[in-house]
Amino acid sequence: MENQSKVEVVNQAAIERALTRITYEIIEKNKGVEHLLLAGIKTRGVFLAHRIAQRIKQLEGNTVDVLELDVSLYRDDRETEQNENPLPLSDSISIKGKKVVIVDDVLYTGRTIRAALDAIIDLGRPDKIFLAVLIDRGNRELPIRADFVGKNIPTSKEETIQVSLKETDGYDQVNIIKLN
Amino acid sequence: MKKRLLVLEDGSVFKGYGFGSDKETIGEVVFNTGMTGYQESITDQSYNGQLLTFTFPLIGNAGINRDDYESIFPTTRAVIVKEFARRPSNWRSQMNLDEFLKEKDIPGLTGVDTRRLTRVIREHGAMKAILTDDSRPIEEITYQLSQAELPTNQVEQVSTTQPYVSPQNGRKVVVVDYGLKHSILHELNKRDCHVTVLPHDTKAETILNLNPDGVMLTNGPGDPKDLPYAHEMVRELQKHVPIFGICLGHQLIALANGAETYKMNFGHRGFNHPVREIATGKIDFTSQNHGYAVSEESVDKDKLMVTHIEINDETVEGLRHRHHPVFSVQYHPDAAPGPHDAAGLFDQFIELMDAWKVENRDA
Repeated sequence: MENQSKVEVVNQAAIERALTRITYEIIEKNKGVEHLLLAGIKTRGVFLAHRIAQRIKQLEGNTVDVLELDVSLYRDDRETEQNENPLPLSDSISIKGKKVVIVDDVLYTGRTIRAALDAIIDLGRPDKIFLAVLIDRGNRELPIRADFVGKNIPTSKEETIQVSLKETDGYDQVNIIKLN
Repeated sequence: MKKRLLVLEDGSVFKGYGFGSDKETIGEVVFNTGMTGYQESITDQSYNGQLLTFTFPLIGNAGINRDDYESIFPTTRAVIVKEFARRPSNWRSQMNLDEFLKEKDIPGLTGVDTRRLTRVIREHGAMKAILTDDSRPIEEITYQLSQAELPTNQVEQVSTTQPYVSPQNGRKVVVVDYGLKHSILHELNKRDCHVTVLPHDTKAETILNLNPDGVMLTNGPGDPKDLPYAHEMVRELQKHVPIFGICLGHQLIALANGAETYKMNFGHRGFNHPVREIATGKIDFTSQNHGYAVSEESVDKDKLMVTHIEINDETVEGLRHRHHPVFSVQYHPDAAPGPHDAAGLFDQFIELMDAWKVENRDA
């Protein structure tokens, strides 16, 4: 691991700006915030979803629910225990008739999002599902695309995108890590 | 130095000494609260036709240098100070304020209690004033002032008449010049934008034929309602291309979308105006220069979203269109002079252009 280089590609101000722009776009696309539900994918997607919800509240005055989605059981590339409860949440938020915005930090192969779609559909039948991501790094393996993108950063598979957020890491930053 | 008088519409008389050009002048008297940045302010075309008062008592300490011009031919009517520095001290200084004003044919008045003058303006609002020699009876001067008509074609006076480019390799941006500050071009060029500057009365069709990635509407002097052709242009343009408006550009976007503007009592002119971004609650200190503002009640909430407000008097400082890629701010992110808190708005414009391009490629 010594032979790696780390380059900052998005700084704190740009992360904030991107989230603000995504918030505006969500409001614009939905013509308001009625029936809106933000579904953050654990871990960092949840924090991003909360930040977007906070912005919506300041702008429009409405509180938007945030669903915390744990999709690990729905993934196709990890072995799971069959007898675990597959539902990622226990609370009473209803999905039926909602416009769900899935929020995640990085969009890469699209497999996490596919899992999230399964998880959400297991909970009920939403009206619509959107996807908002902070970083779209390309290299999709599934026919999935984001509706709201903070920043497009084309990468190769040899690189890694590292998103750090205040809530977990103490600071906001996005780095590209290259193995040399 | 020659004794000269500043006479205000409400009858107030201020005595002082002339410097700079010795011509007589009439205009709207306004005040700027900045401690520095007099060179950028005097050369800011948004002060067209105005007598510019500095509340800070000593102006000109750092002289005038070759780097800080915001326009080549400033049209500020007069400069009023408590005291101007005859011997500036700065390694960049090329001349003192007196020499500069003489060269640009702008009269100055020194020895005035500019803080008292500011109080008068704050109380009675920005008003007409005359700067003249102390050789005639006051009644005659007041009469002359009351008869004077201030021009309403300020934008026409300061806008470029010919298109020109400020080249870079990158995104193609059209700047519509209502009295632009050089630092706007500087900020766009710095971000690798190829800038084409067009006159104020350019038609939407002409702009769209250039196929730009984005359009920027600049700051400028005067009443935004005097420019109905610009409202028309914005209404058409916003359907097709991302737009970023600053200052007068912001007011034009508001008017184009059915909102109203009004003349403020004494405006915002200075570099310490706190503005809150509503979405994040973040506060930026901003550089401002405006005498008109967008009325909040008039904003059609289905069309526009108020994104920024001034904290002291809650005026609308930022707008965003709900259906088109359009946003604007009343303050100056170019910050010349002033704090650089808001420089990120230019990045926001770049990001908006990029996002729009991606979206329209898919569509």
